[in-house]
Amino acid sequence: MARAKVEQHPATGTTLVVMVGLGMAFLLFMSFLNVVKSGNILSEANLLFAALVFYAGAGALYLGFGVTGTDSYIKFASLMTWAGLLANTGAVAHRWYEAGHPPFASIYEMLLSFVWTLAALTLIAEKRYGVKVIGTVTMPVAIVGVILMQLLPSEVRPLVPALQSTWLHVHVTLAMLAYAACALSFALAMMFLIQDKVKTEMFLAATSIFTVGIYAAVLTRFEKWGGLSVIAWDAENKSEVFISRGVRLFVTIPDLGWLMLLVFAAVAAPLVLYILARVKLARVKNDDGFLAIADRAVFISILLQSLALVFFVLRVRGGQYPSLDAEGLYATSLAASPFILAALVGGIFANLLYLLLLWRRADLERLLPDADALDRITYKTICIAFPLLTLMIAAGAYWANRAWGSYWNWDQKEVWAAITWLIYAGYLHMRITRGWRGRRAAYFAILGFAVVMFTFFGVTYLLGGLHAYA
Amino acid sequence: MAMSLRSAGREIWQTLSSIKTGVVLIILVVIFSIAGTVILQRPMTDPDDLQRAYSPAMLRFLDVTGLTDIFHSHWFIALLVLVSLCIVAASIQRFPNSWRYFARPYKSPDEGFRKVLPTQALIPITDDEHGLSAAERAFKHLHLKPERIVRTDSFSLFSERNRISEMAVYIVHASLLLIFIGYGVVDAIYGWRGFLVLSPGTASSQIEMKTGVTRTIPFSIRCDGTGEETYADGSPKRWWSKLAVVDGGREISRKEIVVNDPLVYQGVRFYQASYGRTGKLDQLILNATPANRTGTVQEISLAMNQTVALDADTSVQLVEFIPDFVVQDGRVYARSNDVTNPAVHMIVTSKKANSSVNVWLPPMPGIDENASSPYTFDPKDLKTGLFTGLQVSHEPGQWAVWAGVVLMAIGLTFVFYVVHMRFWVVPVVDARGRTALWVGGTANRNRDVFEDKFKKLVEQIQKELKTEFAASAEAQATSISGKSVSETKISRTTIAGR
Repeated sequence: MARAKVEQHPATGTTLVVMVGLGMAFLLFMSFLNVVKSGNILSEANLLFAALVFYAGAGALYLGFGVTGTDSYIKFASLMTWAGLLANTGAVAHRWYEAGHPPFASIYEMLLSFVWTLAALTLIAEKRYGVKVIGTVTMPVAIVGVILMQLLPSEVRPLVPALQSTWLHVHVTLAMLAYAACALSFALAMMFLIQDKVKTEMFLAATSIFTVGIYAAVLTRFEKWGGLSVIAWDAENKSEVFISRGVRLFVTIPDLGWLMLLVFAAVAAPLVLYILARVKLARVKNDDGFLAIADRAVFISILLQSLALVFFVLRVRGGQYPSLDAEGLYATSLAASPFILAALVGGIFANLLYLLLLWRRADLERLLPDADALDRITYKTICIAFPLLTLMIAAGAYWANRAWGSYWNWDQKEVWAAITWLIYAGYLHMRITRGWRGRRAAYFAILGFAVVMFTFFGVTYLLGGLHAYA
Repeated sequence: MAMSLRSAGREIWQTLSSIKTGVVLIILVVIFSIAGTVILQRPMTDPDDLQRAYSPAMLRFLDVTGLTDIFHSHWFIALLVLVSLCIVAASIQRFPNSWRYFARPYKSPDEGFRKVLPTQALIPITDDEHGLSAAERAFKHLHLKPERIVRTDSFSLFSERNRISEMAVYIVHASLLLIFIGYGVVDAIYGWRGFLVLSPGTASSQIEMKTGVTRTIPFSIRCDGTGEETYADGSPKRWWSKLAVVDGGREISRKEIVVNDPLVYQGVRFYQASYGRTGKLDQLILNATPANRTGTVQEISLAMNQTVALDADTSVQLVEFIPDFVVQDGRVYARSNDVTNPAVHMIVTSKKANSSVNVWLPPMPGIDENASSPYTFDPKDLKTGLFTGLQVSHEPGQWAVWAGVVLMAIGLTFVFYVVHMRFWVVPVVDARGRTALWVGGTANRNRDVFEDKFKKLVEQIQKELKTEFAASAEAQATSISGKSVSETKISRTTIAGR
């Protein structure tokens, strides 16, 4: 059986490379025809599209590597990542030249830079530290990033007065670098946990809690009688619709709320089953029945989540919806709800990673560096992230002092950045003075990144404040 | 009594300096900070929004406990002070140890130390002197400065690099305290923030504070002009104000400030914060047409309370400007100061007829006497006054904060990237009674780099020994069967970090 499996690998291996290669060649050829027609080859959109195609190819191969463990995939995958990075660099440079300032001023530009950093870090982690499988995690994120970019308003917006400062670039560059380093430390900590023989069902619990959190957050937008409220979009001006200054107009998409509720139940099911299994395990040993059902429930929940995503995209893109706050019907757009979209995609992605782990754990363990090395690299990345976080906060304070008249305003984002800083400071203290190693340190690193994500997305989305434009 | 007092003091000191207390305090700070971002905070929220969000009883509770202004409440500040004290106490308690370690480096390792050191190697040699000098050359080759430690019964080599790194953590703690002192002490006591609204041509030294009181600064600020530039799509590009500092009746300096570039004088900083229309009339341009349609149309310009002659007999005076009018019970009221629905009140006086007529634009039925006016007026343009809103702040503690930030950057660089490495070489007699060089080393962080260095050092010593052996063999022309280098074993246990 095992031998048959090994013999199968080369065959499927070439098939995948050839298929991915052909698919990409086809896409690039088709877009090339389009480009020839329009006569404009090196536009930002084309470069981004090329980057997307290359990243998608790399992502497919990295995933193939993650699933089958065929080493030859990696070569092609990193080659494609290089190509994608090159196109991405072109897009960043083009943007920079066009806008006259580094691309950090809007969510679109930040994503552009973020994806670039992510691809670069992936290559560094692969070449320098030999963490080959990391592309399996980072490339899909990059792909989601590039797709989100296609949806967001991308025209060069003039900078409002408060943003016209060199300190903006210093502050945001540092933030991007720090957050990318935090993301890397998170991925490494996760891999450490895999290598440290943490039970697979623990990851089931973690991904379930994550997805349940996502749908709970989405359901805060649940409106009466099963609607889901999203921000209205003004297609002509390519901006959100405002009722008054800073107050956005929400429209209600009927029935979508029920679907989200259903999916919420579906993603909660594995968690409930896990808890039942734990409670039951305490009394009767070796009863994995609940866990087996939970794994199946994860599979079903992925299907339902995909369904929710498809319906969300379809309903948002077409149709006019009523609002509770204003008369008439308004259109909306995916660009108005980037966070919901990212959350839905992120949920599916997290569950897919769990399935990857469930089915291919032995291969993953073979491919990853050993636990000790992962633990050390996690610590090293945080050693890089922490000074960057410090400098990011300092640069932000200095800029705030010039723009708002005070270096510390207790603004939501500031407070959360300080909390992030405190958590990583705690990690370092525990590690250095208390000798925390291994699992506890890994959990700490994961907590740190969760807070980073909340600071980056959650504060903007849920809390608001002075950092309204980022 | 005194004894118990002292022991209580010691107890407090121990509690304060323990890392557990520090962690608990920091967790508390984190929890309350999170609460401060979730609960609406008074300084940043409209009072109406607060009332809408919470029930009156809830709001009263939140106000009394300080939860609506957590970051300025006494207990939160007390918490931060406690954290600072904790840092100070922990630093003081640990400092003597570190200082001893720093000031009196451990140069000559004893047997117990040699046994337990995780990174060490044993290299066979022929005699102590040659072995040590080979090791010395190896140290120099790797840019390490070897030091010969001579004791009565033994001698050995010691070399280290970046000892200062052991002190770095105190630099970071000191910088954190500097930031706390700058923000929490100096600025909390001596700092203030306020607002100053100026129209072009006016000067003031009265700053309106957040609390509602007015503060007089020892000089005044004059506004010589203000304006806005917009992009083609109408979004604001630049707000500017031309300001001058007038101190003791003399103009000291001038500066055009924009949003990211404030004016600073005597530690007081003036920021461009807002810009707009005052709701006060600057200039009104009208077309005046004689009511009997005999004369020509003339364009006149009126400022507030200004009288303009229309002909030899008639003159008009602007007496009232209402930016946003509403009519109620036969009177005209101003609803707001925004120029959204303006009305003007003029008096047309005729000397001959000795009459004055109230003219309103737009006409106000029942109030105006426009019909009996000898002229009809047709408004052409309305210019209202501009104002510039300046945020004023005095934060003398910010210099401590910036110094703290720079110090922290330096400290963190040392903490994370400067590794304190120590190496020892001691001639010993191994278990089988042969002479050998015991080589050992430690590093306070970054084990990978250190282990690499250690490996290189051992290899270099072996190389030096080999050449020395060859040279001495040649000189003596005797064939001593030297101990093969391959016997050398490097034992490395992987206990990561210190």
